[in-house]
Amino acid sequence: MAKTRHQQPLSRPKLKTRTRAYMRDHARVLLFSLGKLYRTPFATVMTILMIAVALALPACLYVLLSNLQTVTQKWNDAGQISIFLNENTSEQQITQLHKKLRDHKEIERVDFISAKEALKEFKQRSGFGELLEGLPNNPLPPTLIITPIEAAKDSEHLQKLKTQFISLPQVEQVHVDMQWLQRLRSITAIIRHAIFAIGIMLGLSVLLVVGNSIRLDIENRREEIEVTKLIGATDRFIRRPFLYGGMWYGLLGGVLALILVIIVLLVIRQPAQELVSLYNSDFKLILPSLIQSLLLVLTSIFLGLVGSWLAVNRRISKIQPS
Amino acid sequence: MIELQNVTKRYPGNREALSHLNLTIEQGEMAFLTGPSGAGKSTLLKLIAAIEKPTRGQVFINRKNITRIPKRKVPALRRHMGVVFQDHHLLHDRNVFDNVSLPLQIAGFAQVDINRRVRAALDKVDLLDKEKMMPITLSGGEQQRVGIARAVVHKPAILLADEPTGNLDPELSAEIMRLFSDFNQVGVTVLIASHDLDLITRMQKRIIRLRAGECIDSQSVNSPQDFEIIN
Repeated sequence: MAKTRHQQPLSRPKLKTRTRAYMRDHARVLLFSLGKLYRTPFATVMTILMIAVALALPACLYVLLSNLQTVTQKWNDAGQISIFLNENTSEQQITQLHKKLRDHKEIERVDFISAKEALKEFKQRSGFGELLEGLPNNPLPPTLIITPIEAAKDSEHLQKLKTQFISLPQVEQVHVDMQWLQRLRSITAIIRHAIFAIGIMLGLSVLLVVGNSIRLDIENRREEIEVTKLIGATDRFIRRPFLYGGMWYGLLGGVLALILVIIVLLVIRQPAQELVSLYNSDFKLILPSLIQSLLLVLTSIFLGLVGSWLAVNRRISKIQPS
Repeated sequence: MIELQNVTKRYPGNREALSHLNLTIEQGEMAFLTGPSGAGKSTLLKLIAAIEKPTRGQVFINRKNITRIPKRKVPALRRHMGVVFQDHHLLHDRNVFDNVSLPLQIAGFAQVDINRRVRAALDKVDLLDKEKMMPITLSGGEQQRVGIARAVVHKPAILLADEPTGNLDPELSAEIMRLFSDFNQVGVTVLIASHDLDLITRMQKRIIRLRAGECIDSQSVNSPQDFEIIN
């Protein structure tokens, strides 16, 4: 047999060339996997919608909760203590008491409401004025309204102050306007935990949704995987487009989730403001901040990557050409 | 180049596809595998491409024992081979150029080299003008030639083909075989499984005949007349 010329075998590319090719392959696969999603629009849109809804729900709840918290934080006057004095306390005694309380290091300010003022205010506010006029004398006591300093506004401090006040002369009764706020705060704490739990469950469902989509994709491409393995592709090379696919699902789902959250907030903005204005509060609905938005999208990308990783990991090495 | 020593392959269910097979194919040789279906032709090719492992015996590629090769070393081994299938196994979501360039992309070649090599391979199989087309728009013979271009684009030392002309008419088949012969001319070791006896005798190369997993005959055929005598 006449062999005229022998072909030179291709030598393995240099490390630098291979590194550059590796980067190029990442860029290529990044676009390729996006194109793949574009070519199956229905399945892609379904998957992305599922991710978006699953993430938008806890995100909406979270934003609403943080709005509620900013509202309740503004209600500082709720930490006030009312001291009801004996009806026949003299003015001198009141002035003494007033001065003593004002010098207390845990007290910010002290307001005095005389029995007359209290009656006047009550008449204005309650609408039962005529009823009170029928009474022989004023049933309301003179009152000192104590606003403690910021650091003393937790329930522990307020309870301490209450016991101090009750032992003062001429004090009939001490009332802390705290309980309902505490209840509200513990309810919001429960809600926060609930949102956290819901968020974890829905995050898991995102993993499953992405994992399932990628798994189907792998099954559809079983033949392709076998062929590329026969050509000498490593598992990592084959895995790459699927991981990028999961990343795209996460990115697109996260962005859509963010859009959903903003739409929901804009829709409830008006009624929320009306509701809050009934409580004399200058409340403005806060939209998620840039960092929170970024965090939502990054979480979504992370979930997409992990979901596809779980789907890809063992399955690819199991597929062998036959 | 390829050496099998006392190789037995038994599939689950105790079917013995190959039994006690000894075979050596020299570097630069071109040989045909033939025999009735179930004779073990495909199994033999699978053992060489490390798709299957022998139940007993040893397989050597380029003096390297690949019998118990770890999984992670299989891709590197396969990059020294080109494989052609009966049904092309082209990827239908990308064009001819991208199909052919796949082995080079996997091996991490620079884009300029990829372009040059792919065009050279496509030129060799006479499909240079179809590089932008999708495989599905090509005829069966053209698809097979794309498959061959992909198998040789990285200049493998060994070219394996399993019934590469199985679906083609005689004229196209002869053309494909001529291509394989051309590659052999430049030093590639070529092993082709085919049951098309007429065609392969005309090629005047070595013919290895298998029956029920055993090698019953291995002869170099220099003319069609020789083959008549063997028969």
